[in-house]
Amino acid sequence: MKKELSLDEGKAPCDKPIDLLAELRSTPIKEHGVIDLLGIAAFFLVITPLLSTHRITDFMIFCIFAMSFDLLYGYMGRLSFGQMLYLGTGAYFCGLFIRYVSGNPLLAILAGIAFAGFLSMLLGLIIVRTTGACFALINLAFNHIGFFLVLSPLRGITRGEDGFGVSASKFGSLSLTSRPIMFGFVLLCVLLVFYVLRRLTSSPYGILIRSIKEDETRVRFLGYNTFYYKWLTFVLAGSIAGLAGSLTALNYSYVNPNAMDVHSNVGVVFACLIGGAGNLYGAIVGGVVYMIISNLLPIYIYRWEMFLGFSLIIIVFRFRTGVWGYIQRSWEYLVKRKVVPGAMKKEAI
Amino acid sequence: MIYTIFYGLTIGAILYFISIGLSLTFGTMRVINFAHTITYTIGVYILITFVNFLKWYFPLGAILAILTVIPIGYVIERFIIRRLYGESLDYTFIATFAVALIGVDAIKWIWGVRPYPISDPIGTYLMFWGLSLPVYRIIIVIIAILLFFGLNIFFKRTIVGKIVVAALEDKDGVRCLGISVDKYFSIVFVLGSALAALGGVLYAPISSVHPYMGLSVLLLSFAVVIVGGMGNLNGTFLSAFALGMVMSITARYWSQGAETMVFIVMAIVLIFRPIDI
Repeated sequence: MKKELSLDEGKAPCDKPIDLLAELRSTPIKEHGVIDLLGIAAFFLVITPLLSTHRITDFMIFCIFAMSFDLLYGYMGRLSFGQMLYLGTGAYFCGLFIRYVSGNPLLAILAGIAFAGFLSMLLGLIIVRTTGACFALINLAFNHIGFFLVLSPLRGITRGEDGFGVSASKFGSLSLTSRPIMFGFVLLCVLLVFYVLRRLTSSPYGILIRSIKEDETRVRFLGYNTFYYKWLTFVLAGSIAGLAGSLTALNYSYVNPNAMDVHSNVGVVFACLIGGAGNLYGAIVGGVVYMIISNLLPIYIYRWEMFLGFSLIIIVFRFRTGVWGYIQRSWEYLVKRKVVPGAMKKEAI
Repeated sequence: MIYTIFYGLTIGAILYFISIGLSLTFGTMRVINFAHTITYTIGVYILITFVNFLKWYFPLGAILAILTVIPIGYVIERFIIRRLYGESLDYTFIATFAVALIGVDAIKWIWGVRPYPISDPIGTYLMFWGLSLPVYRIIIVIIAILLFFGLNIFFKRTIVGKIVVAALEDKDGVRCLGISVDKYFSIVFVLGSALAALGGVLYAPISSVHPYMGLSVLLLSFAVVIVGGMGNLNGTFLSAFALGMVMSITARYWSQGAETMVFIVMAIVLIFRPIDI
């Protein structure tokens, strides 16, 4: 790396680590924060009758995953082609916890998050040093290694390609095997993740990671230890992906190596781009749109991969702010105001 | 053990054919080219069509396949890659990946998903010192070494090669001399695509042919390019053979772990020598 690194060692006046919990407590609750959450809940409840409950639960889990990816890509500007690794880790550890330790679903979810977080802590130390294409490729490489480990050397525990069933027991009156309760639980998770990420990304910490996206060297000149914040963001994204993985395992009552498939990484990249990267609403809209495309389109259009390819190219060349950016612009046009109330400031991409 | 080394050399040669294009495109245009998979796979499929059509004449089929890939490479460069110069790496990554998706689907459309068997076109063995080595693999290694010297001469002696090497060092400097760099980039891209097709064509008889064959090979050649250094031609040559050796030695003791070992090597290299790109 470059020589500027030595600046980190000297304690600059503003080199004060930002405490995430304090951030969460101190950021004032804006009055439309609640309205946004209600809006998202209403959105999912409205589309549920159109498709089945099980499918929408799946969509919502994917939205959680898309938000975790968006934190990394949209906010911090690091494109990862291996986010499935953390989803898969979450799914496997959640499943293994239920299988070998206890059937309590909440503890299992915590175990999934903890292990995915732990793995991203370890790998993050290496991965976060790189940027750009290297970051994407090294993530891809680790994902490949993880997929291989699950498939072959750890066959004794993970049952290789066949995977294993996950049957969570009841926890009080919370039985995640029943569809409506699972739906409600996942919806709560989406809202929780959205709320936490929204608060974090609009806090000084959020501004810092967006500054890292713009120009990391300058942030370092200001005296911030950028390595720490990149690592923190990476761990946060990994843990949230772990949550999505645990929920996937519980939703399907089944874990197999598809949860860690290297090729599925395209899906989440596409979801983020189609919704508009750097925006949590974009991640949710993109997640739903992508799931609709990949679930329903193959029924009508046989060549759906080609469709996906062409739409990706169109997005990259013409439509970079995605669906949400488009909605935002139309809204601005309608209201004739500069800043849309309730929406985050649009990122310059 | 001799067989292991020899198989490592063969895999290294194939990896060299494929990664040289990646390395050149990255070094000159700063584009991570996922569309490389598509020129590689299309080359193989066209070869199959020609070999079925011509029945037995493999070399002619191979040359025709490589010639067919050249215009495809040019079209990809002209309409996708050229618009991405100077863009952030993420967008080039995604756009070329989209090209790869379209290409794979087109292949599935035209040729179907079913894997094709294609047999060793020579099928004889060379015997010496009690060893029997397939002639075909010897030819692959020889082609790789010839290509290495050929490319070295091309980049050191010819004016086009010199311009490309200069552009690898400093693109803007070359442009300041009044040379239209884009034209040469296009040549480099087409050359890379043709070499990828050559790699595919040579590798097809000793591996299986299916629409997704490019993807796993591409990941390996990314590892080669990263270990060898982006845009470093000699480094690519060395790292291709070194990683080929890693693969074949791992495969000897632990057959499923071969590809993973390459990524472990790549991760180690990245830890000790992070590349700022």
